[in-house]
Amino acid sequence: MIKCKQLILGYQKPLNKPFDIEIMANEWLGIIGENGSGKSTFLKTILGILPPLNGTITVFGKKPGKLNKLISYIPQEREINLTDLMSGLTLIKSSYRGWQYGISLTNSKLHDHTLELLELVGATEYMHQSFNTLSGGQKKRIYLAQALINRPKLLLLDEPLADLDPKAKQHFIQALQEIHEKHSLSLLIISHDMHEIATHLDGFVHFKDGVVHDCRDLACSKEDTYVGI
Amino acid sequence: MWAYSFMQHALLSGLIIATICGIISVFVVLRRVAFATHALGHMSLTGAAGSALLGSSMITGQLTLNLICAVIMGLMGNKIKKNDLAVGVVLTFVLGLGAYFLFLFQNNYAGGVMSILFGNILAVSLAQIYLLLALSMIILIILLIIARPLLFASIDPIVASSKNVHLRFLSVVFFMLLALTVSMACQIVGALLVFVMLIIPGAIGIQWGNTIFKITAISVIVANFSVVLALIIAYYFNLPVSFCITSILSFAYIIRPLSSKLQKFFISIS
Repeated sequence: MIKCKQLILGYQKPLNKPFDIEIMANEWLGIIGENGSGKSTFLKTILGILPPLNGTITVFGKKPGKLNKLISYIPQEREINLTDLMSGLTLIKSSYRGWQYGISLTNSKLHDHTLELLELVGATEYMHQSFNTLSGGQKKRIYLAQALINRPKLLLLDEPLADLDPKAKQHFIQALQEIHEKHSLSLLIISHDMHEIATHLDGFVHFKDGVVHDCRDLACSKEDTYVGI
Repeated sequence: MWAYSFMQHALLSGLIIATICGIISVFVVLRRVAFATHALGHMSLTGAAGSALLGSSMITGQLTLNLICAVIMGLMGNKIKKNDLAVGVVLTFVLGLGAYFLFLFQNNYAGGVMSILFGNILAVSLAQIYLLLALSMIILIILLIIARPLLFASIDPIVASSKNVHLRFLSVVFFMLLALTVSMACQIVGALLVFVMLIIPGAIGIQWGNTIFKITAISVIVANFSVVLALIIAYYFNLPVSFCITSILSFAYIIRPLSSKLQKFFISIS
């Protein structure tokens, strides 16, 4: 699904030494490392927002950015311009094929699909409530439903567990697990709370001191990797 | 009163402008570009004055200057919201230039140029209405084509960008539509009123509506209602139409906050 060869990430200065990695379909990987080590840059490179400084990367067999319809991204920081009376439903529905030009009539299938997703992430209770009055955890569930509305094959999450209380974290991780199983969705998740999520993962990608470690093999045990981050 | 052709023309042109402004207004409010809209309205005056000085039609100068400024504003993309100062500096320079053009033009009749600022809805010709209708149809068709990605980009720009929505392209197209609306409407309702029509209906829409469809519908209805009511009041009480529309819309805008304040007050004393 994602193939990187001799890849160097960065804006102007390289953040890492060249690395090779292949991420398969239906995998759930954690991305760990210190701040500024290149985790978010890696996700932006997968999306084609940032070009790699060197090396090659293909996503679904194409250049990054070519098949972004199949990828959903939940960024760490975002600007949501919903008015005070608008609910999360508006956010989700406005994202449905939001890249398409031309007129579209609202269909009942979209409404049913939205309700199904809200139920899956456990957000039906507050789906009509003003989005601006929701708590951080509630908003993150809406973001998750929004990310799933276009039936992606790959979900990229940048620090989705930050600012959540332990209970909200558990709910969010459970929702991710359900989505991963039910929709055969590949997940790449950046988090500093790996001890919370480690048991659900197929492995890690560890950005450390400019070296990118593929921690899915025995040589790089999960425990060694997440403890101490 | 509707038997007079000048009133019929005023009503028709007012309704066309109110409908287009009502729709564009929602995106002006959502994208938080009220100040840039205000600037475009005022730049119309300079465009018109420059044109008059060169001896060409005022709409040519207005459209040219407004479209150039719109492309620049559009290219600024999301940064325009944080760059009020830059817009303000350009606006004052362009306004100063307009004042200079008027100074050079002082030996001629400058009333036509000044009408760009205040407009004259009661002196609209049938030819102007046809032009207005044609431009409105163009704006509406383009808006319908870009509505979906424009809404996505306005509400959630970062995620929209990750889905290959071209934010800068949409921003340029939107500002060009805005410039076109401002230029055509300035001829009839004036630069000052155009600003009111492009801000308050959308602001009222977001006070009452919870979906984009409802917000747009409320915005268009409010804008159209204010035009009809203003024409009636202006006719019977011999008042300027611009003043009537501005007052009606401003009053409509304070209804919601006023009613919630009163509600809170009555709850506290009961």
